[in-house]
Amino acid sequence: MKVAATLSVNGFAYPVELDPGTNLLAAVRDVIGLTGSKEGCDDSECGACMMLLDGQPVNACSYLALQAEGSEITTVEGLADGDTLAPLQVAFLELGGVQCGFCTPGMLVSATALLADNPSPTEDDVRIGLSGNLCRCTGYDGIVKAVLSVAGSS
Amino acid sequence: MATVEEPRTFIRPDGKEKVTGTGRYTADLVLAGELVAKFRYADHTHARITRIDVTKARALPGVLAVVTHEDVPDVLYGGMVKDRRLFARDTVRFEGDVVAAVAATTAAIAEQAVALIEVDYEPLPVVTDFEAALADDSTLVHPAWEEYEGNESLGRHHNTVGYTAIVKGDADAALASADVVVRGRYVTDPVQGVPIEPRAVIAQWQGDKVTVWTSTQVPYAARGGVAHVLQIPESHVRIIVPLLGGGFGAKCDFHFEGHVAALARAARRPVKLVFSRREEFFAVGHRREGMVIEFESGARSDGTLLARKARLVLDKGAYCGEGGFFSEMAAMHALGPYELENVNIQSSLVYSNNQPSSSIRAPTAPQVCWALEQHMDELAAALGMDPIDLRRKTLIETGSVTATGQVLEQIAMKETLEKAVELIGYGQELPEDEAIGVAVGWWPCFAANSGAYVKLNPDGTGTIITGAQENGTGSVMAMPTYVAAELGMQPEDFSMLYQDTDAAPYDMGSCGSQTTFNSGRAVIAAAVDLRDQLLDAAAEQLEASRDDLELVSGSILVKGSPDKSVTIAELAGEGTFHGKGAGEVPFAPEALAEGCVGQSGLESFHAPQLIAHAVRVRVDRDTGVVRVLQVAAAHDCGVILNRMGADGQVYGGVVMGIGQALSERTQLDAEGRHLNAHLTDYKLVTASDAPQIDIAWIETDTLNAGPKGSKGVGEPPCVPTAGAVANAIARVLGARVHQLPMTPERVWKAGQ
Amino acid sequence: MSMQTFTTAATVEEAVAAVAAGARPVAGGTDLVVGARTGKSTMPGSVVAIHRVAELRGVEPLADGGLRLGSLASHAEIAESDDVCARFTALSDASAIVGSHATRAQGTVGGNLMNASPAMETGGPLVCLGATVTLRSPSGTRSVAVEDLWTGPGKTTAAPDELLVGVEVPAPAAGTGSAYVRLEYRRQMEIAVVGATAAVTVVDGVVTAARVAMTALSATIRRVPDAEAALVGSDGGSAAIESAGAAVAAAATPISDVRGSADYRRAMAAVIARRAIKTALSRARGENA
Repeated sequence: MKVAATLSVNGFAYPVELDPGTNLLAAVRDVIGLTGSKEGCDDSECGACMMLLDGQPVNACSYLALQAEGSEITTVEGLADGDTLAPLQVAFLELGGVQCGFCTPGMLVSATALLADNPSPTEDDVRIGLSGNLCRCTGYDGIVKAVLSVAGSS
Repeated sequence: MATVEEPRTFIRPDGKEKVTGTGRYTADLVLAGELVAKFRYADHTHARITRIDVTKARALPGVLAVVTHEDVPDVLYGGMVKDRRLFARDTVRFEGDVVAAVAATTAAIAEQAVALIEVDYEPLPVVTDFEAALADDSTLVHPAWEEYEGNESLGRHHNTVGYTAIVKGDADAALASADVVVRGRYVTDPVQGVPIEPRAVIAQWQGDKVTVWTSTQVPYAARGGVAHVLQIPESHVRIIVPLLGGGFGAKCDFHFEGHVAALARAARRPVKLVFSRREEFFAVGHRREGMVIEFESGARSDGTLLARKARLVLDKGAYCGEGGFFSEMAAMHALGPYELENVNIQSSLVYSNNQPSSSIRAPTAPQVCWALEQHMDELAAALGMDPIDLRRKTLIETGSVTATGQVLEQIAMKETLEKAVELIGYGQELPEDEAIGVAVGWWPCFAANSGAYVKLNPDGTGTIITGAQENGTGSVMAMPTYVAAELGMQPEDFSMLYQDTDAAPYDMGSCGSQTTFNSGRAVIAAAVDLRDQLLDAAAEQLEASRDDLELVSGSILVKGSPDKSVTIAELAGEGTFHGKGAGEVPFAPEALAEGCVGQSGLESFHAPQLIAHAVRVRVDRDTGVVRVLQVAAAHDCGVILNRMGADGQVYGGVVMGIGQALSERTQLDAEGRHLNAHLTDYKLVTASDAPQIDIAWIETDTLNAGPKGSKGVGEPPCVPTAGAVANAIARVLGARVHQLPMTPERVWKAGQ
Repeated sequence: MSMQTFTTAATVEEAVAAVAAGARPVAGGTDLVVGARTGKSTMPGSVVAIHRVAELRGVEPLADGGLRLGSLASHAEIAESDDVCARFTALSDASAIVGSHATRAQGTVGGNLMNASPAMETGGPLVCLGATVTLRSPSGTRSVAVEDLWTGPGKTTAAPDELLVGVEVPAPAAGTGSAYVRLEYRRQMEIAVVGATAAVTVVDGVVTAARVAMTALSATIRRVPDAEAALVGSDGGSAAIESAGAAVAAAATPISDVRGSADYRRAMAAVIARRAIKTALSRARGENA
């Protein structure tokens, strides 16, 4: 039995009908059609699906979509201001934070949450904060440098 | 020889779509009417199939196709030995063998249908101990091995799918005369590639042609595989790779495109397969193999290396795939980058009922290097020598002749060692729970054919058409910079059409660190061809000699006459200019290879890349927990064309190497089934465990190099890291860990 | 079976009524959804989301020096609370190392306790700090000591119609320090292979009270009386710590699995317990630890 709900993603309200067991990642990717967030595992280990729920990070694959009704959901597609990339997005590109790009959406969302919580993190704060986002390409070096560069400039 | 300038910013052309989430990976695509694919895997790791009944599954509402071996041509496939069927027919040989596949309207229905398929088996003895599988009386994984079509050089026999011997001089006699002899036995667990993107495949038939969107590293091999298993012409198969979410070798070779194409044909609908992380662990035919490695080396008391013997046994798992060359590759790494007069290396690649192993980033090298570099440190200890001094004395250098008779020219092995030692601060005083370890390694380049086009658009911009595959490294993304340099244009002037087998000529794909080496060469050749055409046209238009023309900032000028010029946009006309090229494939240097058995072309290392890593670790003796605090990585990869991209390979490769060293391992039960096919217990290195990494590039003028003097870069960074970590751990503990990975429990045990 | 009904409770009464009617409560989803996706458990047929219930929120210091946690208190809230950090330090140690920052933002103490994993982080600290949980059903409310809450992996003494609504932690006696230590293969994203908690009170250089609990070393998190006995009355010196650690190892009934052998776990039980006790003692003495 599908349930009608309205999910607010990146400032847009989407009326949806969902099976109650649908997780937030599946709702956003398959029903709403925003495929930026990725599915890399099923046990909250990789962080590729990470979104913000009222500003707090969530592994969307491990969260029931219907619980998100009434909250503001932010995905990687909501980070840029129109055509203007967010500073973190620019820094990821300029400092080698992107290779295959599959972890990038979750990593950017995670870093956004990290900086909102702690605008002046140390390198170790950044490394601890991003530990829930696995990257197999970059060795995290460019990612950590990118987050620190944005923290330093704001 | 020169070191390389500091990184400069390189913005990847595919970067914006990746940071905004607008880029599309295979699983992100949706085709109208697409169905969901699910596989029925083997219920035993070794068993004879006595009955397959899909009646109930086919009758389930929502199921549009159930496919078994009966629904596809009865052909065997495999890169180096044809030993595998798309769907198991008589026998299943490992946990991930596919017995049947279902296409249904929803994932839930497909899963239900998979469970309704009835398969009866007669279990067979399971071969999981691959060392025991060498014995002539062991159970055969492939009783029909002699009938298989396979590469003749492999030396197949019984369960042995590849055998290599490298023999030079008289190792036994030399060992008998040595002042010091050390022996060691080292065992490694299997390891996985773990791209963060689990693989996905979508197939859609239009008439009798099929288009397959797939997360493969090797589109042309995938095309050949689909054509072969379905017995259709390659021209009826088009492989498109959307953005690829990493591969690390795990997505090499032909895998599941055939199953999905067969399902889509039977269902008469597009079909999509997306692997779960669990499937990405156990079902794929690519993982890094477990090995048993035994070394015996002898030296004179002054450190002169007299002889080395080695016995290597590699677990091939159930099928050969493209990994038949592993026995020779491992044997070459058992030599390592050392000068050796007396050698006897025996290397066997053995079938088992474990998951198939095949190329994962620098296949065979990290394990053998880990063992050899520990062995060399043990030799140094027995000699009472500093391990760096022993390597200074025994490593190859320009002019060295390898044990296979290859004369090495212009290599910087010793220079990378010195640089790594300098960067890490070798010899500094450290807390008692910290130590520095060093390891060295080598890796060949792979020369192969490739072809490319560069075409000009009416507005003077261009499009590069290449068969190269971008797996994330940026090697394809850097191609506009090479083309722009040839044409006096800007990289931003070029779009790229790539990862589409109908568009570009053959390319080997993203494997063997070969993209810049071969695809880059072809793209540059195509740009040169286009440049020549443009110069001819400009010479005519400007009534100037072609030799007097130069390409600068999007225009062709007559040298010395600034008023005589024509822009490329003006020349472009309606956009009919197009260059094509392949470039000349550099030849691998000859090797005498006397005394070598089982040659698959690796007995000489083409344009070898040399690597030295030094690491500083902290060991918690009470728990065995090891933290890598600092890594210095010095590489000779020839001329570096894209410093940011090359550095990125080292950062990623070293961190992968640390995972291999300390935490990454697939654990199997007594029947060869995965016990930890999930990321909670298959532990990748996180950001908080990744250390500071300092990088140095030593550039050499390499013979037979790739474009502009380059060599490969992608694979070497994960070769010596585990060995360096091992040597550092041993220095703290005063004891050695002879199993890889060196988990806390193993380190703790070694220290007891 | 898939989930058939989903409701969102606005009040505790609604939540309790739904649970009594057979719904499984969900807050952060970090255990429930993951369990269903990985096949470790099945998705319940009926679920009530309690994450909007304001009364279940909060990390509040009590007038008597104790602490009240709403069942929805997240690990992030607990870890960032100055009160918890200063006086209930073992709990702060534990919440700070649960999963990733996303897990800490969404995962709740109520869910952690009721999931009843013998490897959960907050269990040992709450046991050692003498916490009680409040269970509410349509027929009333009762308190259960956290150490009496679990009967086995995934099993609790709560009745099927009871909802955990809050956790109360009594004020620690003067001179008390506590610590939770986990064996960590990696620095983050670990599930306890071995964990230990200690809460000790030191008066005039003598240990007057001690609680020691072990995590992931038996079917439930539980206290180790012999370890506590080894500490009480001692000076908290290395001999006492050593024998307390040995008592934890002796009490452990570890399993062998992909994360480690029973032998290793037993050996680590002593090491990790010693570290937890040492840190708790330092904190009790007001040393910088």
